[in-house]
Amino acid sequence: MKSNNLNTYAKPSVILLASVLVCLAPFCVSDQGYAIRVFTLLFLFASMAQSWNIVGGLANQISLGHAAFFGLGAYTSTLLLIHFALSPWLGFLAGMSVAGLTGALLSLPTMRLRGHYFALATLAFAEVLRSIANTWSSLTGGPVGLSVPFSAEGGLALMQFKSGVPFYFIMLAMFILSTFIYKQISQRKIGYELRALKANPASAQAIGINVTKTKILASIISASLMGGCGVLFVQFNFFFDPDSIFSLVSISIRVALICIIGGIGTVWGPLIGACFLLPLEEVFNSTLSAKGAGISQLAYGLILIAIILVEPRGLQALFGRISKKLGI
Amino acid sequence: MALIQAILDGLMLGGVYSVISIGLTLVFGVISIVNFAQAQFLMIGMYVAYYAWAVFGIDPIFGALLSFAVAFVIGYLTQQFLISKVLKAPEVAQIFLTVGLLIVLDNLALILFGSEFKSVQTPYQNESIEFGGLIVSAPYAISFCASVVAGLGVWWLLARTWWGRTVRATSQDRMAAQLIGVNPEKIYRITFALGVALTAFGGGIILPYLTASPSVGEQFGVLMFTVVVLGGLGNVMGAVIGGLAVGVIQSVSSLFLPIQLQNLTLFCVFILTLALKPEGLIGRRTG
Repeated sequence: MKSNNLNTYAKPSVILLASVLVCLAPFCVSDQGYAIRVFTLLFLFASMAQSWNIVGGLANQISLGHAAFFGLGAYTSTLLLIHFALSPWLGFLAGMSVAGLTGALLSLPTMRLRGHYFALATLAFAEVLRSIANTWSSLTGGPVGLSVPFSAEGGLALMQFKSGVPFYFIMLAMFILSTFIYKQISQRKIGYELRALKANPASAQAIGINVTKTKILASIISASLMGGCGVLFVQFNFFFDPDSIFSLVSISIRVALICIIGGIGTVWGPLIGACFLLPLEEVFNSTLSAKGAGISQLAYGLILIAIILVEPRGLQALFGRISKKLGI
Repeated sequence: MALIQAILDGLMLGGVYSVISIGLTLVFGVISIVNFAQAQFLMIGMYVAYYAWAVFGIDPIFGALLSFAVAFVIGYLTQQFLISKVLKAPEVAQIFLTVGLLIVLDNLALILFGSEFKSVQTPYQNESIEFGGLIVSAPYAISFCASVVAGLGVWWLLARTWWGRTVRATSQDRMAAQLIGVNPEKIYRITFALGVALTAFGGGIILPYLTASPSVGEQFGVLMFTVVVLGGLGNVMGAVIGGLAVGVIQSVSSLFLPIQLQNLTLFCVFILTLALKPEGLIGRRTG
């Protein structure tokens, strides 16, 4: 009984302690420094991975093209800001809408696909957007990319800040939002429908699940969250080009890899994966980049292969296996 | 006339597309793995042929044979030490293993060969053949002929040899093949090796008119997937027809559409095929 009581108090107190730490952390480091940038990106990538998790984890549709939605969000808000001086906050909503709509349209032809076929189709979609963005220079600025118009005063309305702290909390909020949505979906009817579809599409349909509606809905939610992340990223980074924003390796594969490392289809997988991968990448970049282009990316690919060979279900499963072996 | 010329150009290009895509479809048909790193073997082939030319002065068409050999060895080892470990794993593991391989190969090339574009000079690169008002540039014609030879070679291997029979048997029913004494592991290793070697061979023969760079895999990845999906994943004959079709679509669409939309045309073909006829336009899968 006693240990039971302990458990009931343990969970809320851990959460409370973690939230206090997370909220205090940005004030313990330099507000424009390196550490806060890493933490900010960590929450951004955890949010991106969480939106991938909605289709990748719950429905087991392995997307290799989530960079498409990320880039669409980025271009939408930046173009609206440049041409119509629209506040990035409204641009955030616009970016989410464009990405969500595209997600819906893309899922019409792709929802019947499974496994390798789905991965191929989504990969191709993002690659095509990349090549369009590279060539349609009059709209997108071509390979040179776009810059967010810099304002010296900055300010909340323009989503530009002198300190790194506001963006830390914006990305944290985005992560909380995407995790909340993921949790809501996984606990509600649509979550069970997605799992049923994952387990057996034919019987899911037979028991009356509207396959089309469920898949399109999941795709819209996932895509629009990813689009929102794209908007936040460009506001944070000030600059982007087609090859980086629609990148197969550094966006599409990275968000999926974060989920794989943390555990696909688990609520905390994206955060665990991001906490593991992003600091590791920073170490690589600072120690290996000096040795020449490509070395840190090479290490990245090797890690991916190693994880797949050792435990494709991720760190959580790996720790479970190890502790079981040790008899803990 | 412009249309006939465009179709002819498309067929010349398409012949090469067929050869580089046969490997991808063969691997899927026999091993049930989509090798996302297949286009990176094209890049390997281009570099091997380039260095064969730069160091020994070997013409890329013959250097392509060396590309074939090098990729065969790499492919054999890849199957033995990497792919074979995930054959029974969930699909997500299979997908990301070859995706990891893609990242490794791209960056190895960047580290070893640098990011600059490398091209060869051949005595025939500015030559062209003219007949009846149609013009075919010599490098395209030569690589097309090499593709035909390679294609016939694969056909002979699969359709006319005992080894080809065991490969087809394994892809149809692994268990039954095992019962009659075929070692599927061995078949898989050689099939994967042959598959990537064919693509590398294609990389060698296109070197006279294309430049080698670490990002060349990116250019060809989606194109190769379009070819094999059009022909039906796993269908070797389908890849040949799909390759020619993609070449013609690319070349003809450039008559009507701005260059920006060329990739979009390919993507529409790709996604429509996947959505409407995932088994491919050619129909029955042989794999």
